[in-house]
Amino acid sequence: MAKPVKIILAGEGGQGVQSIAQIIAEAANEEGREALYIPNFGVEQRGGVSVAYLQIGDEPIGAPKFLIGDIVVALSDRAVRRTKQYVGSETLFVYDTGIKNIDNDLPKNAKKVLGIPAIEVSTKELNPRVFNIIIMGAVLKASEVVAVEDARAAVENKLGYKFEKNPELREMNFGALDRGIELVASLL
Amino acid sequence: MPEKPIQGEKRVFMTGNEVVARAAVAAEAEIMYGYPITPQNEIMHYWTRMLPKYGLRFLQTEDELSAGFTTTGGVLAGRRAFTATAGPGNTLMQEPLSMAEAMRLPVVVIVQQRGGPSTATVIYSQQEVTMTTLGGNGEGLRVVYSTATHQDLYDYTIKAFNTAWKYRFPTFVLGDGYQAKMRESLTMYDPALRGIAMVPTEPYVGRAGMPGVDREPTLLRNTYNVEEELFEVLEQYIADYDKVAPEIAEYDAFATEDAELTVISHGVVSRACKEAVKELREDGYKVGYFRPITLRPLPVDQLRDVAGQAKQLLVVESANGQLDRLIKEAIYGSTAEMLSMFKPGVGITTEEVVARVKEIKDPARSDKLRVLH
Repeated sequence: MAKPVKIILAGEGGQGVQSIAQIIAEAANEEGREALYIPNFGVEQRGGVSVAYLQIGDEPIGAPKFLIGDIVVALSDRAVRRTKQYVGSETLFVYDTGIKNIDNDLPKNAKKVLGIPAIEVSTKELNPRVFNIIIMGAVLKASEVVAVEDARAAVENKLGYKFEKNPELREMNFGALDRGIELVASLL
Repeated sequence: MPEKPIQGEKRVFMTGNEVVARAAVAAEAEIMYGYPITPQNEIMHYWTRMLPKYGLRFLQTEDELSAGFTTTGGVLAGRRAFTATAGPGNTLMQEPLSMAEAMRLPVVVIVQQRGGPSTATVIYSQQEVTMTTLGGNGEGLRVVYSTATHQDLYDYTIKAFNTAWKYRFPTFVLGDGYQAKMRESLTMYDPALRGIAMVPTEPYVGRAGMPGVDREPTLLRNTYNVEEELFEVLEQYIADYDKVAPEIAEYDAFATEDAELTVISHGVVSRACKEAVKELREDGYKVGYFRPITLRPLPVDQLRDVAGQAKQLLVVESANGQLDRLIKEAIYGSTAEMLSMFKPGVGITTEEVVARVKEIKDPARSDKLRVLH
């Protein structure tokens, strides 16, 4: 029995980690796979580190939370320090290279540590608003848990009403998704 | 008649709170009473969102005491009524629910447990087991279903209304903050298509005809003048409860027949225990899995069978022994060694349960046990 892929996404409140965890989970569900997504939702949700736990597999998912992630994504200095505990010898750890003063906090025990310049790319090439969609692309490439076209459909499903009003947003979001995929592909 | 909320069957992906609201609509619930408290707020949000379409009603009260009493009022009027709460709200609600026990009122209550004592956390726990199963003053004449999955939330929310109206005991669906907020898939269905008929409701008050002439008078009491009067009523209630308890009790189990150690857990924690037992079995450990689905009444006979089979029972829960106390009472006299993994107010993962069993079963300790037996 194949175990589910376990993903942790952590960032500052407002960076959109919960949204992308939910979109990926919904994409997996649409593929007929089993998915479970649970946010942390303590008081820290308002101005603290926001953590999303996501599991995708072919059998019904067990416990909603887990100790070690297959993929751990940290998007702020506090998120890097907070998520070190979820890293094991099989973990792929992804962080943003724009985060300052974390060199000593990056996990030493991970299978692989990938730094991607998502903040920089979103600011210079696209729009800071689609930063999380770049991260979503990165997670899709790193995990390969759902097909890119299904993820696109889930984004469309979630944000379609906004795209209708402003079609440029659609282009920007899907561009961000592709950039996220490229950023990880170039490192693997 | 508004259209049916669920036509046929439908696979969906949503939070547990939304599942509960949709299940209540599918169960033909007519009115919800409630007061907001995290992590169950979205039950009333989704309920109120659906109510115009299906001609349903909602009353937000000033607190949980009032929410509990108005729910009993809805039931007295013959409405399929329910409420939802958590933590300190559940505490306040025990007073009206004690009255519901006194009058045998079929109220349905959804509880999404949060950390305690007091305000503690808005997140998660299994620390409302004692309170939900045994209630306030009285004898705990109630039914409590402890759910583990979104499918359970859907199935048992529907079932709770039928259990309540069939047996006339207050009935609870005991979830938790994780189940409330997480998203996973489930199949929603029109209960009729699964052969589930909703038990008809009837008013307790305002019934047609002259009392004492056309029909028996309705006696609704939560006050008695003499001890013997109360005792007579309670004797009857307790006899009624004991009689139906075996047919209400439900459980889930596997690999217990040849198990040396059986893991007992309930609710969302049983998901971790189920995976852990499967993993441990693959590694050659003789472990079993047992999950009471009803915490009140417990599946006593099955628990005693399991306790008679395994040399060790490991009770795992996100509380400091609230399930453990219920289990010990049910299996009183068993010689099985009682072991525990208590993490009050904190989630439990598969990895942690596996580690705990391995710690118990490490070779040195196993040798010692073999000598002893």
